[in-house]
Amino acid sequence: MSYTWHFGILLDYQVVFYRAAAVTIEVTMGSLAIGLTLGLTLGMMRLSRHAVLRWPAVFYIELFRSTPVLVQLVWIYYALPVLSGVQMGNVATLIVGLGLHSAAYLAEIFRAGILSIDRGQMDAAKAIGMGYLQAMRRIILPPAVRRMIPPFINEFATLMKLTTLGTVLAVSELLHESENLINNTYRPLEIYTVLALVFAAIIFPFIYLSQRLEKALTVRS
Amino acid sequence: MKNGADAVIRVHGLHKHFGSNHVVRGVDLAVERGEVLVIIGPSGSGKSTFLRCLNFLEEYDGGEVWFGDNLVGYRRGANGKLLRDRERNIAHVRAQMGMVFQSFNLFPYKTVLENVIEGPVIVQGEPVDQARAFGLDLLRKVGIHDKADAYPSRISGGQQQRAAIARALAMRPKAMLFDEPTSALDPELVGEVLDVMKGLAAEGMTMVVVTHEMNFAREVADRVVMMDEGLFVETGPPAEIFSAPRLPRTAEFLRRVIH
Repeated sequence: MSYTWHFGILLDYQVVFYRAAAVTIEVTMGSLAIGLTLGLTLGMMRLSRHAVLRWPAVFYIELFRSTPVLVQLVWIYYALPVLSGVQMGNVATLIVGLGLHSAAYLAEIFRAGILSIDRGQMDAAKAIGMGYLQAMRRIILPPAVRRMIPPFINEFATLMKLTTLGTVLAVSELLHESENLINNTYRPLEIYTVLALVFAAIIFPFIYLSQRLEKALTVRS
Repeated sequence: MKNGADAVIRVHGLHKHFGSNHVVRGVDLAVERGEVLVIIGPSGSGKSTFLRCLNFLEEYDGGEVWFGDNLVGYRRGANGKLLRDRERNIAHVRAQMGMVFQSFNLFPYKTVLENVIEGPVIVQGEPVDQARAFGLDLLRKVGIHDKADAYPSRISGGQQQRAAIARALAMRPKAMLFDEPTSALDPELVGEVLDVMKGLAAEGMTMVVVTHEMNFAREVADRVVMMDEGLFVETGPPAEIFSAPRLPRTAEFLRRVIH
């Protein structure tokens, strides 16, 4: 064991980690917003009794779940412009790509959450004259979303770790910036160690919160 | 199409299938204003399904249900064929029929009073103050005024079912549908729910009740219907049905439920 660790020099570069962490968080939040909106829509479409709504949702969800995210990102970045003429920047591509990807998983979380609510609740809501969407919004989704919080946070953590794929699009998120730093400092072991710790520092509070919430919710019901 | 000028609910040749299972097999009925109609029959005979067709919680697939001048659940298309009605119209008809379920189906994250005012405020757009005042009146009427701010999980089954009745009444319904309202209750709690229902009947509420409470049927019903294998096999005033049933299977069913 002759390796001498030099974490000290990273103090000079700490601002690089702050900047990159900001990009990572921005990409995560952006794609989460897309994923939640589209995921709720797809989840409800998949539960529809109309095949014209159900089948496109099934196709979308299974397509995105059965192909690698990296391929999806590269495809959106390089193939989509050729086919459609739409060329997004690398950050936009990462946000949209991860958003579309997470929507498929979030849709399944929404679907499972909605299905976990007793059927009688929808009956009761309809019996007092609510329409389907009104009943969803007022009666079904509030308790369903409570039950979805732990899987949501799980998905959030997954999404944040997936932002490291942005390095192939040269997005200046944490992994990409770390690799640049390694090229300047030749200190890969220190830098990868710190990189891992930075991710843990961002993600762990959410996991802790999710466990607390889960406990609090089981106690109440 | 109209018969019985004062009928609130009219049913013509109603059919309902679940896949290949033919559950309601051609039922006719007219419920007069202020009438209390009790449907009895063995489990699996289609009673609950029939009741749920009346407000289109089950989508019937043959025949017609009329509520006043509204065909429930369907509208006539340009070519005269029946099409599924718009969601908004279906909801509008449902709002005028109260329904009480076997499993109460109160909204668990809302207090008793919030359950009661949900329909008036959200569906009918009534001001909250007014809805609360009327809601409290209704809770007083069903005897759980002191539980207005309790959550459903904190009160007894009988109190929950009375809250559910108040929730249905809050919509000022023209008729009330009861789907085995006491079947999920402990025996000692059945009476308090039946008392509320008797009170409603005495006030002249139009009621269709699916129940196994034969004493309630005998005392309160204007008409009793025996349902078996998806059909109304025998109909009559309770005195007749209970003392001199026409059909052997009605007699046999009554013998089994009244020991």
